[in-house]
Amino acid sequence: MKRRTWVVRTAVLGYVGALIALPLFFVLQRMFAHGFATLVSALENHEMDTALWLTIRVALVAVPLNVAFGVGVSLWIVRHPSVTSRVLDTLIDVPLAVSPIVIGLSLELAYAQDGWLGRPFAAWGLHLMFNYWSIVMASIYVSIPLVSRQVIPLLREVGTHQEQTAQTLGAGRVRIFFTVTMRSLTWATAYGVTLTLARVIGEYGAVLIVSGNIAFVTETLTLNISNNFENFTPYQGFVGAGLLAFSSIFVLLVLGLARHRERLRHEYRS
Amino acid sequence: MSIVLSNITKRFGGDLVLDDVSDEIPSGSLTALLGPSGSGKSTLLRIIAGLESHEGGRVLLHGRDVTEVPARHRQIGFCFQDYAPFNQMTVFDNVAYGLKVRRVPSAQRRREVDELLGLVHLGDFAERYPRHLSGGQRQRMALARALAIKPDVLLLDEPFAALDAQVGAELRVWVKSLQHELGITTILVTHNQSEAMEVADRLVILNQGRIEQVGAPEQVYDKPASDFVHGFLGPLTTWQGTPYRPHDLQLCDEGRGLAARVLDVIRLGFEVRVVVQRGDETTWVQLTHHEARQFDPTIGSVVSLCPR
Amino acid sequence: MTTHPPLARRVRRHVPRWTSGGARGLALAYFSLLVLIPSVALVTHAFAHGAGAWWDALSQRESVSALRLTIACAAGAALINTVAGTATAWVLVRDRFAGQSILNALIDLPFALPTVVAGVTFYTLYGPQSPLHVNITGTWIGITVAIAFVTLPFNVRAVQPVLEARSFHAEAAAATLGASTGHVFRTITLPALAPAILTGTGLAFARALGEYGSVVFISNNLPYRTQVASSYVYSLATSGQVDAAAAVSTGLLMLALVVLASVNIVSRRVARSQ
Repeated sequence: MKRRTWVVRTAVLGYVGALIALPLFFVLQRMFAHGFATLVSALENHEMDTALWLTIRVALVAVPLNVAFGVGVSLWIVRHPSVTSRVLDTLIDVPLAVSPIVIGLSLELAYAQDGWLGRPFAAWGLHLMFNYWSIVMASIYVSIPLVSRQVIPLLREVGTHQEQTAQTLGAGRVRIFFTVTMRSLTWATAYGVTLTLARVIGEYGAVLIVSGNIAFVTETLTLNISNNFENFTPYQGFVGAGLLAFSSIFVLLVLGLARHRERLRHEYRS
Repeated sequence: MSIVLSNITKRFGGDLVLDDVSDEIPSGSLTALLGPSGSGKSTLLRIIAGLESHEGGRVLLHGRDVTEVPARHRQIGFCFQDYAPFNQMTVFDNVAYGLKVRRVPSAQRRREVDELLGLVHLGDFAERYPRHLSGGQRQRMALARALAIKPDVLLLDEPFAALDAQVGAELRVWVKSLQHELGITTILVTHNQSEAMEVADRLVILNQGRIEQVGAPEQVYDKPASDFVHGFLGPLTTWQGTPYRPHDLQLCDEGRGLAARVLDVIRLGFEVRVVVQRGDETTWVQLTHHEARQFDPTIGSVVSLCPR
Repeated sequence: MTTHPPLARRVRRHVPRWTSGGARGLALAYFSLLVLIPSVALVTHAFAHGAGAWWDALSQRESVSALRLTIACAAGAALINTVAGTATAWVLVRDRFAGQSILNALIDLPFALPTVVAGVTFYTLYGPQSPLHVNITGTWIGITVAIAFVTLPFNVRAVQPVLEARSFHAEAAAATLGASTGHVFRTITLPALAPAILTGTGLAFARALGEYGSVVFISNNLPYRTQVASSYVYSLATSGQVDAAAAVSTGLLMLALVVLASVNIVSRRVARSQ
């Protein structure tokens, strides 16, 4: 084999190994560094468990909402282009370019007691800042483009012929959507959903600002990890970090599977 | 199930895609909508199916005005050029789709689908997925799927365009005989004139959104209504100022016709083409092997051309 | 033949609408409430005291130092990852070895892993308690390493699909004409990949400008020394100076959008010139 190939391959493996694999192994190693018993009691830590549960509760609302929005907006942009939808298409990706701190700040400015929307909402008894709902809103904001970025190119590629054929066969809109449209979007949507979920449970900067970081109340798992480090209980922090690292590995597996199935779909294309 | 098209007009942006198109398609016929790219033939087909909107005119199926009726309810079978298979479903489920929509009970559905798959010779492929099928097989699956709902009308958009020559030729013969057997009014869109003449009972020739001529294939070929039709339907040459088809000229004995010099002799399977030149005019003549052997033209020799 | 009156819009009804007007309104409301209105609130607060005050906030010494540090480290990491990302994409597409799929999956880790996990890990791994006996906390090197981690996937995933789709026929033709492998790569492959590479670098840079969680720990967050822009905004926001925080935020945001837009334009122009 050519020496050049070997050099590039080794360099890349070395770089990715040192930059990406090494930290991953380190987290997991730290998690198990003090033995199994210590790990179990750390896992039962009440504050961390509350934080974990809060993170899950946020994801249970934020992810389905963003998936519904993402798929719907993609259908609108691709199948019924209009001026509005084109503007929306450009604006949707903006959250990807914005710092999470800035996202948190924007939400706070809008929804705090003295904010634009915060003030009228407070008058109606609706408080949307420094609580569960602010965390949900921040999670939605940061992950809003992730589904449509996968679905839009696929919708364009798949085209309308299958849907129109289903029409001539007598199917109505709803049936066509679920039996034809979504069937060809499955893996792209799965990819987007998984990215969304990962983003939501991993969000830190925006949640730091909008939640108020109140222990046992608005402390998400990510906040719990950083709190532990700042309060000199790093092991507890690493246990939480390890949990998230495991979920990331799971996410990677799902993403890999989705990418593989998408490739299968493409092989047919000859 | 006859089809009446009445003053169909369609605009796309500022362009007039179909201009006051009217025709009456007899029940049970196989009509080809023939024309070059951009002539509006596919658009017209989609309008008949209800898949496309239009600005003016009416569509009548067996006397019933279906202009306002959505595609779902027109009881029409449609096959796209790319066959539009439901990739995530098996061949069986593809063909069964329309029956499922109509809530046909599962046992009867199975019987009908098996029968259809047998008809299109895909019986062994029922549990396969479209990506495992060849182009010709996907085409037949698309046909079976459309026929499953027992449509009154069958619409085919360039059905043979994506197939290689051999497969396409076999499929054409098969589709023609199937249509005769089932008697379904069928409209086929194509830009390929020999395909249209081979398969259809009736040609509707379109150019730039307007009908140029309607008639049986031989009729249209021998008595073209316009220069466009004349040129579109078959090879055309001019000889001494008059347009001819290459097979309307033949080689004849010296002294009888006009003399010309042979530039090239091309043997093509079943025919022989002799390219000739007289003065600064070049044309070609189509001969059978027998005729070619009779006169034995060689490059550089002088021959005589006469009309047949 | 009698003419029939034109049907105009009525006939359009039976081309199905996939999204109803109500659904579209809902989607717009959702997006406005959650993204648009907060963004407008941000801009309003940024310019609440006029453009002069906005500029003042941005040109504070602390702000300038934070911005300068962030841009430098982001640019540095982006450049390193331009090379590394392209090489990685190459190895993933054009090479064949055991464990390739693991490498492919690993590339997505920075997308999947929460930033705070990366942040505390880097701090522990490369900081005072480092098992490797290195300490790059409180240095621009540490910040650049953290940013490189977070942005590598952007570079790789931008180039990878283009490489996969490429047929390499042009390269083969050049080889038959006598060009060396290196020459072929420089004159044929790289120019063809340039738009994708540029896009990846632009995305990486824009993302890096706003990075917080993975960077704030290893930077030690020393004002005027190792405080990144997002951290500076955070400190302004939590000390009640929301307008100044909004001002610096909009400055950062504008920079990110300008970078993205320019990269878009340049890469399209490069693509067209081929």
